[in-house]
Amino acid sequence: MTTDELAQLLAQQPVAILHRLARGRVQRHFRAGKRRLIDMLIQHSTNNLAGLESDLQALIEERQSRVQTPVPPANPVPPRQTAPHTSRRPTRTHEPESTEPGVTLTAWLEGLGVPTPQPFVPDPWQEEALAGLAETDVVVSVPTGSGKTYVAVEAARRAMSENRTIIYTSPLKALSNTKFTEFSKIFGSDQVGILTGDRQDNAQAPILIMTTEILRNLLYDAASGEIDVRLDTLGLVILDESQYIADPERGVVWEETIIFCPSQAKLLLLSASIGNPQDIADWLTSIRPSPCRLVRHSKRTVPLRAGYLHPNGKLTPLFRTAGIPYGHPGQLHPEAKRLFLQYEEDTLPSGRTRR
Amino acid sequence: MPPSIHPVDLIAALRDKSLTPAIVFLTSRRACDEAMEAFDHAQTVLPPARQEAIAAALERVIAQYPSIAEHPLIPTVQRIGVAAHHAGHLPSWKIAIEELMRQGCLDAVFATTTLAAGVDFPARTVVITQSSIRKARDFMDLTIGEVQQIAGRAGRRGKDYVGFAVVTPSPYIDLGVLTKGFTGNPEAIDSQFTITYPMVLNLLKAHQHNQIQAILAKSFAQFQLNQRAELLERKLDTLHLQMEPFGPRVCTDWITQWHTFDQARRQKSHRHQTVRHEAPEMTARFHFLTPGRVVGLNRGRGVVLRQYRSKGQKSPMVTILRPGGAVTECPAGIVTEIYDRIFDCEEQPGYPWCTAASFDELHYQLTELPTRLPVLPILVSKESEPLPDAIVQSLGDFPCPTCSSRSACQKDYLIASRMRQEQQRHMKSIQALRTSLWHRFQERIDVLQKFGYLTPESQLTADGEWARLIRIDHSLLITELIRAEAFTGADPAVLTGIMASIAHDDDRPGAFPRISSGLSSLLGQVRKLAESLSPYEDPPLLRADIAAVAERWVSDPNLTWIGLCRSTTMAEGDIYRLLARTLEFLSQLHTLKATHPGLADTASKALALIRRGVLEELP
Ligand SMILES: Nc1ncnc2c1ncn2[C@@H]1O[C@H](COP(=O)(O)OP(=O)(O)OP(=O)(O)O)[C@@H](O)[C@H]1O
Ligand SMILES: [Mg+2]
Repeated sequence: MTTDELAQLLAQQPVAILHRLARGRVQRHFRAGKRRLIDMLIQHSTNNLAGLESDLQALIEERQSRVQTPVPPANPVPPRQTAPHTSRRPTRTHEPESTEPGVTLTAWLEGLGVPTPQPFVPDPWQEEALAGLAETDVVVSVPTGSGKTYVAVEAARRAMSENRTIIYTSPLKALSNTKFTEFSKIFGSDQVGILTGDRQDNAQAPILIMTTEILRNLLYDAASGEIDVRLDTLGLVILDESQYIADPERGVVWEETIIFCPSQAKLLLLSASIGNPQDIADWLTSIRPSPCRLVRHSKRTVPLRAGYLHPNGKLTPLFRTAGIPYGHPGQLHPEAKRLFLQYEEDTLPSGRTRR
Repeated sequence: MPPSIHPVDLIAALRDKSLTPAIVFLTSRRACDEAMEAFDHAQTVLPPARQEAIAAALERVIAQYPSIAEHPLIPTVQRIGVAAHHAGHLPSWKIAIEELMRQGCLDAVFATTTLAAGVDFPARTVVITQSSIRKARDFMDLTIGEVQQIAGRAGRRGKDYVGFAVVTPSPYIDLGVLTKGFTGNPEAIDSQFTITYPMVLNLLKAHQHNQIQAILAKSFAQFQLNQRAELLERKLDTLHLQMEPFGPRVCTDWITQWHTFDQARRQKSHRHQTVRHEAPEMTARFHFLTPGRVVGLNRGRGVVLRQYRSKGQKSPMVTILRPGGAVTECPAGIVTEIYDRIFDCEEQPGYPWCTAASFDELHYQLTELPTRLPVLPILVSKESEPLPDAIVQSLGDFPCPTCSSRSACQKDYLIASRMRQEQQRHMKSIQALRTSLWHRFQERIDVLQKFGYLTPESQLTADGEWARLIRIDHSLLITELIRAEAFTGADPAVLTGIMASIAHDDDRPGAFPRISSGLSSLLGQVRKLAESLSPYEDPPLLRADIAAVAERWVSDPNLTWIGLCRSTTMAEGDIYRLLARTLEFLSQLHTLKATHPGLADTASKALALIRRGVLEELP
């Protein structure tokens, strides 16, 4: 068998077989898509293509003999032995195939359009966060684009009315700049200052924007006795994008900032959805003067629809349902599934179909 | 069929279904730029009214940030209503594109996933073309959190009823990663607490040595370590119950008694057993090398499948599964690091020492490990295990042969001793979990004492007092350079060059030929020092081309931004970030004015020289 023929034969096999072949041959084969997997398999076996081929034949035979075994309905042959915990991997889960047809493209596209303008009404979770902040520290964990900025702005407004200083931190200079512009528009440019590693603009303003590192440094200096009036009147510290606490390089800065944050100031942690916000809240409760309030939800405010666009320009829904089938990654739309399989077949490794 | 859809067709398809404005996430900056180039010959042009709207919006941004007035992409953006947005661009250009997007002037933006976090940059649709991203030189699958962060850009509150995430395949896409990302719950996050030299100095400046442990205990890291310790404590409780039937018998500690007796019996039959000389570290570690444990090896990592002592080998042996799937037998000594991570491993008596399902699972998990793992600090017990001495006792000293509980002891010994070993292992792990941060802190103290930043009583020395003000990466290298007076006589340009090469941590290739001889020789010195410090601090890249770019900007005040960009292959966004980071590093040197007035002065001159043109536009 030539390399090309072998590649073709590999391409005709289900991905599961390729992964079994790759075991012990290719590193990180679980990562690779089908096409890349074939490339890697062949590359690995350039000196022993015959070995690869015979292993492949053996697997194919094994599979065929399984498929051909007549299955008496009363005593079904158990599926290939897999330990129960492997089901964590969606690529291996075999959900029962639903026979219902998937949603149509027209139904999927329904709802496209611009809503009529509505007066601004805060969401219940936004109110809850603000109410919580009147008493104690608050951790907010909600999906991207839910409106965390509103909570930050209102909380700042309330703290300002009590003549308190507010510090707002973000992980990125670019974000700090955006917020500086945004807050200056809301509160007036004399009320907002920005501190960066090398520059201070309006550093005595009641609302100060900085990166988290700068705040950590201010807290270091305060701890070692340097007097900073801004920290004395500090009423609120807002840590935006605080899921950065899990950043391998910089996460420690968020921990330090929280540990050293003066106890008279309230902490407001704004985070995208994470898996364990309760842990963060429990941690704060364990080290801060009063029990922390957790505000979380995982429902997107604007519902999401997922689609699949084939390279030939054909668009189909990605899942059987118009919305996202949460918890059921296997509910692919039959059309999307067919097109993607075809894509995998078409983009063969031999390089014939490259641009 | 092409391996992925042509950008012009993609935008056409989106426009056709009214799925614009859209953000198209591409794998690399290059892909974004190429996508823009693909429009050079495209026929579709925006109607004049929309072109004017873009021009007007851009004009307002340009008034604030003049540096982008001549941006080469402006005509394309106006003509086609599509733009690129990635880290290779200047911040002001990115702000301009964000503004255009917010005002609804653009139909699509080609972006890299760096856009996913934070910036308020929503669209009706996001297009996803990849399932992995480059992190620290390696491609990693997107996490569920990352997929949702990306998808989160789709659907603008108040402007859309629904948002769309459209997947379009490219050769290396894994659809499973994305469907899992759309439908799953985001991952739990873990503390990444590290103890840095500036942290130690600043903590010791403000607190007594004996207060530090309590401060470290307030970290999220310790909170999570405690959670794990509590889990083990619960296991211990269960073990305790299970051990009840094996409580005191004729001897209180019959397990040890029987063990010693049994050893002595065997000893007698094989007089010439190999004598084992093991370092106490090895013995202490061996307890942790249990099946499922993730360990660091000289090269790479592995998972322990079993441990054993082999007759022919002096040292204990382990069987290790390596990431490629290879199973190797090696002496336990090759394990360099024991990580605080154990996977479930269903053991099995024969090769490969665990069930096939376990094997697959372990193999998979091994490839999925994060790049950094917490290390288990192993406490070496001072008193060595008493057994070898006891063996010299003669058999006659043992009451066992005639004891009434002999048969019970003999029967239960194996199971009881196994449980007791497990108990001891858990207790050691718990102790390690409770004290590991403190041990890591101590290690840092040792280094700082060795270099003279701390006294033996852990007070700050005169050098420690100023060194605590340097709170950036590579702080040890920088403070050691200052102490070695490496910067004496350096002009602002040379100082900038050195600081830039320390600050820069990107290994993207760049090219810039000219570097002054002064900077070049100083850089050589810095490299030597960094090398000698490498046991205590990872050395920075210290690239000469990077140093040269920064030096050039400072040494020639008439050099324009365009001129600087032309002299290197670096993207302008990268040059900007390099200089911005250098500014931060230099301003830390500036804080040393009380103790190092000369250096602080040079730093402040350098700061003033860097901050011009583009670098003045933003705070
Ligand atoms: N209660 C509300 N009703 C209607 N629109 C709202 C409400 N709250 C916020 N918004 C709008 O939602 C949009 C997104 O808000 P915002 O940028 O604060 O999200 P976020 O949660 O900070 O997202 P990210 O994770 O990207 O930081 C804004 O345009 C904002 O005006
Ligand atoms: Mg936000």
